[in-house]
Amino acid sequence: MEIKTERQNGTLIAKVEGRVDSANAREFENALSSAISDDDTYVIADFEGLSYISSSGLRVILLIAKTLRSRNAKFALCSLSGPIGEVFKISGFDKIISIYGSQAEALAG
Amino acid sequence: MSAKRLLRFATRLDELARLSAAIEELGEAEDWPLDLVFQINLVLEELVVNIVNHGHGGDPNHEIEIAFTSEADALTIELIDDGRAFNPLDDAPTPDLDSEIEDRPIGGLGVHLVRTVIDAMIYKRENDKNHLTMIKRRDG
Repeated sequence: MEIKTERQNGTLIAKVEGRVDSANAREFENALSSAISDDDTYVIADFEGLSYISSSGLRVILLIAKTLRSRNAKFALCSLSGPIGEVFKISGFDKIISIYGSQAEALAG
Repeated sequence: MSAKRLLRFATRLDELARLSAAIEELGEAEDWPLDLVFQINLVLEELVVNIVNHGHGGDPNHEIEIAFTSEADALTIELIDDGRAFNPLDDAPTPDLDSEIEDRPIGGLGVHLVRTVIDAMIYKRENDKNHLTMIKRRDG
């Protein structure tokens, strides 16, 4: 698992690559939390390079979503593969987190 | 045509790497669609992590046995462990899937994912072991 970040006009784009499972979820949580700064008003987690995620990764996404909501920052996910999109749907996360088909759509939203 | 494969893992989280490698190898050998490899990996990770974390109170010296039987239209997975009794069909609450972000509890989604992804499940407790049989249709 690796996270690459870039910023565009106050928006943080965090590209998550590889696998997030129970063995590295803590590492994922630390990496994503520390990539986000208090000034970011919009955070996009780009999952184009993410090949696998389990409930341990969903837990981290929900924690981040809660933290950002508590300070009125926006949060979105984009470019989920078919099975990863399914995992978010089954968990009901598609109803509480904005999910876009592409990074461009997320930036426009 | 059916093929059976038996795998054994210790009750440790660092066995997950070996588990996912074994599932990938099996999927490749039997020509599973990539989505099926993902789903089986997800289901087994969630169940194995539950057994490791809750079944033995963190004791790493137990064994989990996983048997795969592959047929043309379905995959049958049998999971056997000697941890405390746990029936994934009844013993895990249905998670809250409707609240707003602020009220959504952290965790509790693993077994829900398993129950949703798997097509049929049978649980029995026998000889102080949990026996979980799961059937996943190959057509998704």
